[in-house]
Amino acid sequence: MKPITEESMGRYLSARMPNWRHVMVSDFHRLPMGASRETFRFDLAYEDETGRHAQKMILRRDPPASNVDSDRRHEFCAYQAIYGHGIPVPRMILLEEDPAHFDGAISLAEDLRGFHNSEYQIQEPAWRDRLPRLAEGLWSAMGKLAAVPTADLDLEFMKPATAESTAAQELDYWEASLDASDVGPEPITRAAIRWLRRNPPPPAQKLAMVHGDFRAGNFLYDDAGELVAVLDWEMAHRGDPLEDLAWSLSRVLSFGKDDRRSGVAPRADAIRIWEKASGLKADPAGLHWWELMMCIKGQAIWNAGVSAWKKSDDPQVIHAYAAWWLRNAQDRAMLELMGKL
Amino acid sequence: MKPSVPAAVANLAALLRDDIAPALTGFRAGNAGMAAAMFDMVAEEWDRAAARLVAENAALRAVLTRGGIEHAPGPDADLRVSALEAANEALRERLITLHAAVEQRDDADARSLENAIWDVLRASVENRRIASANF
Repeated sequence: MKPITEESMGRYLSARMPNWRHVMVSDFHRLPMGASRETFRFDLAYEDETGRHAQKMILRRDPPASNVDSDRRHEFCAYQAIYGHGIPVPRMILLEEDPAHFDGAISLAEDLRGFHNSEYQIQEPAWRDRLPRLAEGLWSAMGKLAAVPTADLDLEFMKPATAESTAAQELDYWEASLDASDVGPEPITRAAIRWLRRNPPPPAQKLAMVHGDFRAGNFLYDDAGELVAVLDWEMAHRGDPLEDLAWSLSRVLSFGKDDRRSGVAPRADAIRIWEKASGLKADPAGLHWWELMMCIKGQAIWNAGVSAWKKSDDPQVIHAYAAWWLRNAQDRAMLELMGKL
Repeated sequence: MKPSVPAAVANLAALLRDDIAPALTGFRAGNAGMAAAMFDMVAEEWDRAAARLVAENAALRAVLTRGGIEHAPGPDADLRVSALEAANEALRERLITLHAAVEQRDDADARSLENAIWDVLRASVENRRIASANF
């Protein structure tokens, strides 16, 4: 991938924004965020007819090989779709899809600085007293997202789905993703897929905009533990809102290595907060189906990281690390959900 | 190799995590931290990998034989980890076929065999656990 520099970004913005003068890009550096996209931060200053402006910016770039089948347009549109609908998200500023500029498509967004996003920091003893507030913020925001009527959102960029079709669609999609990765035979994952097909869930109570990766690590929080913004919308899609809840309950994403889901709160607390905020019921059978389904999705993503690592000219440590760290734990989570552990 | 590979790799992990990573920032610090965690996993896996695979392959052969599925005979002759992993993958592929077939049957023998398959899979997962895993 072509390196992005302060000079190249400054030249690009000067050309892209003809009304901007004296464009200055500074403190450009890559952040240790995410396995699927490159994320950079920089300071921007420019002048236009209204005066001098200074902004903190986040840049994300599509890599040639990723563990997630998404692109800049999809995430950019997802952020735009939910912006202003009660779920706090950063404002999108610019989408550039022509790879001639930076090798891969990029998006620019406002950078909300001075907050935290680490899923590990909140496992430290000093944060223990703020976990209830973090839990309230995490699962309330998720519940509010579930409650937003899809008719109020511009989701035309997403694949169609219905309350009846979404479960099978997601299973088909992630099974195909597993088939496309070359990591060897996986008896537990394949048994789980057969179980899911033999035991389809009830139709979704409603169709919702599903975030697709709603968990600790993908939201900003302040020093008091208040949720500030929800990030990483690249896997957003129309679907069953139980899907987001199930993903957030995943054992492999329980960073405290105990019964606190997402490393934040016990399963029952998470469900209670989500139900109150969404106005929906988390049907136990449906939620169980989605929890096992999320194990399939997780394994597909970790396996896709292996494939991306193997075929990339610039293998990313995180793809190999995540696969080593997560794949057996994901199998173990499937055993638990199937009552075989 | 002396010092032993697990001890040397664990030392490298500590060096990366406690000395080098704190001197870095941003993306590089993240990579150093993950590399340290990978060294920890190598240290854990190095000593046990061959024994784990030999035992798992024997268990897989036993359950496949019980299910009437043909497979390469054991015990494993080539004890290099790469050879053991190749044998393991061939056996796991056949286990998927057997498992799917057994699920379709509705008799006591099938349920008993299915339980035996789950026993093998459960043992495999427990023996592959790493200390840093969330679950």
